[in-house]
Amino acid sequence: MAKIFGGHLVGKYLKENLKIDTVFTLSGGHIESILDSFSKYKIRAIDVRHEQTAAMMAHAWSIYTGTAGVCLVTAGPGFTNAVTGIANAYLDNSPLIVLSGRHPLRDNLTGALQELDQISIVKPITKWAETCHDISRIPEYLSIAFREAVSGRPGPVFLELPPDILNITVEEDEVVMPQPVYRKIVTSPIASDIEKAAEYINQAKRPLFIGGSGCGFSEAQTALTEFIDKTKIPFVLMNNGRGTLPDNHPQCINDGCFTGVMTTLPQADVIIAAGIRFNWVLESGRLFPDAKVIRIDINESEIDRNRVSEVGLIGDVAQVISKLTPLVKKHNHSEWEEKVRKAYTAFIRTELDQRSIPSFPIHPNRLVAKIQEFFGSETYYVADGGDTSYFGMCGFNSNFKSGVLGPAGSLLGCIGTGIPFAMAAKIANPDKQVVLLNGDGSFGFNGMEFDTMIRLNIPVICIINNDNAWGMIKHSQGMSIGYDNLSCTELGERHYEKMVEGLGGYGELVTKDEDIIPALQRAVDSKKPACINVLTDNSVTSPATIQFYQNLTDF
Amino acid sequence: MKFSLLLFALYILIKWSAKTNSKFKRYIRKSKVRILIKTANGKYARLYIFNKGKISSRAGNTNEYDVALIWKNANVGFKCMQNKEKDASFNAAANGNLIIDGMSVYAQWFENGMKLIN
Ligand SMILES: Cc1ncc(C[n+]2csc(CCOP(=O)(O)OP(=O)(O)O)c2C)c(N)n1
Ligand SMILES: [Mg+2]
Repeated sequence: MAKIFGGHLVGKYLKENLKIDTVFTLSGGHIESILDSFSKYKIRAIDVRHEQTAAMMAHAWSIYTGTAGVCLVTAGPGFTNAVTGIANAYLDNSPLIVLSGRHPLRDNLTGALQELDQISIVKPITKWAETCHDISRIPEYLSIAFREAVSGRPGPVFLELPPDILNITVEEDEVVMPQPVYRKIVTSPIASDIEKAAEYINQAKRPLFIGGSGCGFSEAQTALTEFIDKTKIPFVLMNNGRGTLPDNHPQCINDGCFTGVMTTLPQADVIIAAGIRFNWVLESGRLFPDAKVIRIDINESEIDRNRVSEVGLIGDVAQVISKLTPLVKKHNHSEWEEKVRKAYTAFIRTELDQRSIPSFPIHPNRLVAKIQEFFGSETYYVADGGDTSYFGMCGFNSNFKSGVLGPAGSLLGCIGTGIPFAMAAKIANPDKQVVLLNGDGSFGFNGMEFDTMIRLNIPVICIINNDNAWGMIKHSQGMSIGYDNLSCTELGERHYEKMVEGLGGYGELVTKDEDIIPALQRAVDSKKPACINVLTDNSVTSPATIQFYQNLTDF
Repeated sequence: MKFSLLLFALYILIKWSAKTNSKFKRYIRKSKVRILIKTANGKYARLYIFNKGKISSRAGNTNEYDVALIWKNANVGFKCMQNKEKDASFNAAANGNLIIDGMSVYAQWFENGMKLIN
């Protein structure tokens, strides 16, 4: 009979049963046997330079591929480095599976190397966190972890595997390999609520559909297409729901960006909010006191959070919408839609001018417009930074699901997420161009991952919107304590492109408008991971900073 | 003429409210914003300066603003600014009677502030 190591059971079950072929990791002694199983069972290990990246990449992987993302970290500092990434996935409701080493059970309370109560640390930021104590139950624990991560409202899970069970063997046929279960939530709203929602929608004069990550996770493309094509309701898709229908869909008003949303919401008489939380970004639902609100969410506690809804439909977004569509009437809201577009266009006129007119120093809006002009809509865009996130999210458009993501805009508001997200996007879509617009500050957190990109051939094109500052915070300070008193917000002009070049990638510095596109072309031609460092106008800030400032100082 | 009077009256109202209206006082206490209201031809224009609770204003066109609310002409500006409907400026923008130059968040901030004193 064949014996198998506990660590090998991990790789075997991940690959053969859960069909997971990619894991994000950074090595460590405690997890050696699991790493070994990746070679044995042909799991691609993306080994990075900081565990934060591993967790963030696995989180991003779940968004780009629609399946749970797996990361593996070692005990102690490997684990603590991953905590930010886990917290981010938690607030983002993403199915992240974290496998972690830990100190030996044998050495509990002895002052073992990297001994730490990891479970207590991670409990509040996971859906499920457990330690496996028995080698023969490793597959069972993995199957539970997977189920917990993807079921209902998704979220991160944490499984600790001590060396005591990884580095011993067991008879292979004594181990039960549970069938993985992929169950779609079948909760369904009661018929009268769906009818009521349809009635509001049919009577609406100025309806707006606003969708969030729930649209993305429920793979609502088909359901949403049918609903929007029938009702012709203008829509906005935000967060990880962006691109569930393409940005260039005729009813999509994402081009108005936050201004479009903020000016339209108070005017709408019926708002269909699907898989989106009414949190600070939407001013907790205070913007539209008079509208009839129909909220669709897989989690019942979201339905009336911060704002009581006129109708609450609990369930998977795609399923609920497909129940709603047969009850809604064919409609034409073109007059309302045109009005909305004209109104927000009048409000963002300056931003549109900044995009179309060359400037020196380069305006960030202009930089984004040139990038979009060059790469077009068949591209995955990621924007990371403070002001930089705003400029990217507003100026980019893509035909792809999750084609424009601004991970720093999620609830954790975590900058530095851009590089991990862009890397995951490229690995998930190797034939597509992946473009990252990175603030110079945010670039610093995970910039060393250019080594990973070069080592593993992940040719992301990173364009730095370099204002020599932690711009969003600098300009907030300017508004509060004054530009003469700036504290810890200036960075200086740094040649990040040279750093990338030094690591073996392609690097170039750009200061003039006319050099942007040729530099992008050379970056593409190089076929290497590339960093185009663009010095932009450091006197400008974005509306996001003003909103952020107002939010934090209103006491 | 009517329009410049309205712009001046607005200044008086803002200044007065900044002293007497506690909600408005609170609303503006941390803001440093320059709002210009003008007609497209620049003939009528007034700048309102909010400086951490203090209000000042001057008549005349300028480029020194954070946001400008630009009315197509004095007539539509006059009518719309007195219209208390919540969609007045949204409609004006949609009809081409109002455009915003600069940071539109400040225009929204201003409009929300005006709701507290009108
Ligand atoms: C991990 C983390 N640290 C600090 C912050 C606070 N913060 C928010 S925006 C910002 C500045 C970002 O600077 P940069 O990436 O250069 O973008 P810019 O605003 O200059 O466009 C900082 C420090 C944060 N949100 N996340
Ligand atoms: Mg910066």
